[in-house]
Amino acid sequence: MIESRSDKIFSIVVYIVLTIFGLTIILPFLNLLATSLSDQVAVSNGSVAFWPKRFTLSAYQFVMENRQFWNGLKNSLFITVVGTLLAMVVTTLTAYPLSLPKFRARKTFLVIFIIVMLFNGGLIPTYLLINQIGLRNNRWALILPCLISTYNMLLVKNYFETLPEALYESAKIDGATELQIFLKITLPLSLPTLATVALFYAVGFWNAYFNGMIYISTPDKMPLQTYLQTLLNMAYIPAHELPPEIAESLSTESIRAATIFSATLPILILYPLLQKYFVKGLVLGSDK
Amino acid sequence: MNPQKKPNKFLKHLKQYGALYLFLIPGLILVLIFNYTPMGGIVIAFKNYDIFAGGSPIESIIKSEWVGFAHFKALFANDDFTNAFENTLIISTYKIVFLFPIPIMLAIMITDIRSKWYKKTIQTIIYLPHFLSWIVVTALFIQILGPYGVINNWLKSAGVITQSIAFFGNNDIFRGLIVISAGWKEVGWNAIIYIAAITGIDPQLFEAAKMDGANKVQQIIYITLPSISNTIVMLFILRIGAILDAGFDQILNMYSYVVYDKGDILSTLVYRAGLGQQNYSFATAVGLFNSIVALVMVLGGNWLSRKIFQKGLW
Repeated sequence: MIESRSDKIFSIVVYIVLTIFGLTIILPFLNLLATSLSDQVAVSNGSVAFWPKRFTLSAYQFVMENRQFWNGLKNSLFITVVGTLLAMVVTTLTAYPLSLPKFRARKTFLVIFIIVMLFNGGLIPTYLLINQIGLRNNRWALILPCLISTYNMLLVKNYFETLPEALYESAKIDGATELQIFLKITLPLSLPTLATVALFYAVGFWNAYFNGMIYISTPDKMPLQTYLQTLLNMAYIPAHELPPEIAESLSTESIRAATIFSATLPILILYPLLQKYFVKGLVLGSDK
Repeated sequence: MNPQKKPNKFLKHLKQYGALYLFLIPGLILVLIFNYTPMGGIVIAFKNYDIFAGGSPIESIIKSEWVGFAHFKALFANDDFTNAFENTLIISTYKIVFLFPIPIMLAIMITDIRSKWYKKTIQTIIYLPHFLSWIVVTALFIQILGPYGVINNWLKSAGVITQSIAFFGNNDIFRGLIVISAGWKEVGWNAIIYIAAITGIDPQLFEAAKMDGANKVQQIIYITLPSISNTIVMLFILRIGAILDAGFDQILNMYSYVVYDKGDILSTLVYRAGLGQQNYSFATAVGLFNSIVALVMVLGGNWLSRKIFQKGLW
């Protein structure tokens, strides 16, 4: 069919609008990267746009030698890996019984989990609780309270509900226990949704800065995002914290940009590879 | 399976479902400790909490004196509270008015694209900011909008301004900055659900419309929008329900005392008053007010959604 003139114009407008929107997302990253690779003179006279000027790697040299950065990275990796694994265990274990129609008590338990999605004690009582149970300045304070999100649990539960009941029936007849059914049938059949939810948890743990800010008091236990936040709030980095050979040539902006870019790199690399899974899993899971 | 009939119903139930209760234990313990226990801590909104009243937080809570509703009565006479409450509603309303329609438009545009390569690339790009923390997003915006950032430089070299604009420190600009950066981060991601809805429309409807000579704009008005109107209305109701969530992480990272006037919201006030000034009871009272109004809004939205669509958030 021949496209009419107005349809052609429509298509052109679509391409233009989407491309501009896409650029507004990419260009700030290019600006950040360019700033991180430019020297002090270029950054402070404001001439760096999307390409490095007076190219230098010394900001990255500083990041690589910065103990706080590596500590943060180590803590964030620990929190993200351990947190995501435990969260997946707890979330799937909870979602499984709640997805079985034969389990009459499920309605009551579902309410218990939905209530915490709708109402919470608030910042101060939670803060006092963490102090009370001695999790202050402990990395587990950044993991334990975040192991079950009702929203994620419902995504998993809704997906479990779509699995054919006949599979469960035949396993039951073969004498399989609930744990065997859960491990050998339910989980393997739900991989796209589980990958999506694992990604949500991992991103949540990786990006969390607030609990690190209020519960962690020693820098060596700080997660990376909390360290980034302190860096962001610093007007400038004191000269004595910089190695003397680069202190002259390096601006605070470049160091900040190099640190932020290095901290975001894992997401920038992993995300496009995982994208196809989460879109699929999200659409499947949300379709009740 | 044991064919014998057990006389005790409870034992029978336990034998059949016992394993399922065990499955629930880890999740239940976690929500009991980290979600339900703090709800008990809300009592400090009705006391004058004194950290030094006891040896531990719980002891201090028990030993602090009751003041009843005193903190709540004081709320509306408190300028910080009324300012933050007003800002919460205004910023949220701006976000809804300006940002709610954009994902719908994006979804319509994306589903119109024929080139598979372009479609995939643009989706990958526009979903990306959703996965960045507000720390990183704030850093990007400070980078671009800072005194030596590209925007100020362009405006200067174009002769529009002579002095740099302090985007983050200007009460007239701050709310706009909040709405734009929230849009930058989330509108792409929020389009996903509409893209799924549009992809689900029967393609025959579009074919028939084309036969009748309808152009793309007419197809959008007469087919696409009516077909996804349920999704739109439902998400709109749920969005209104979340009106008291004006974006804590975003504002905490982007604001400073210079823009409290137009930028301070209830949750940032709770943080400053509570953990900053250690005004625990007042902060908890503000937080409780926020939680209760939010709860009523969410329940109302869900009730409405169920009434209209037989489908809610849960």
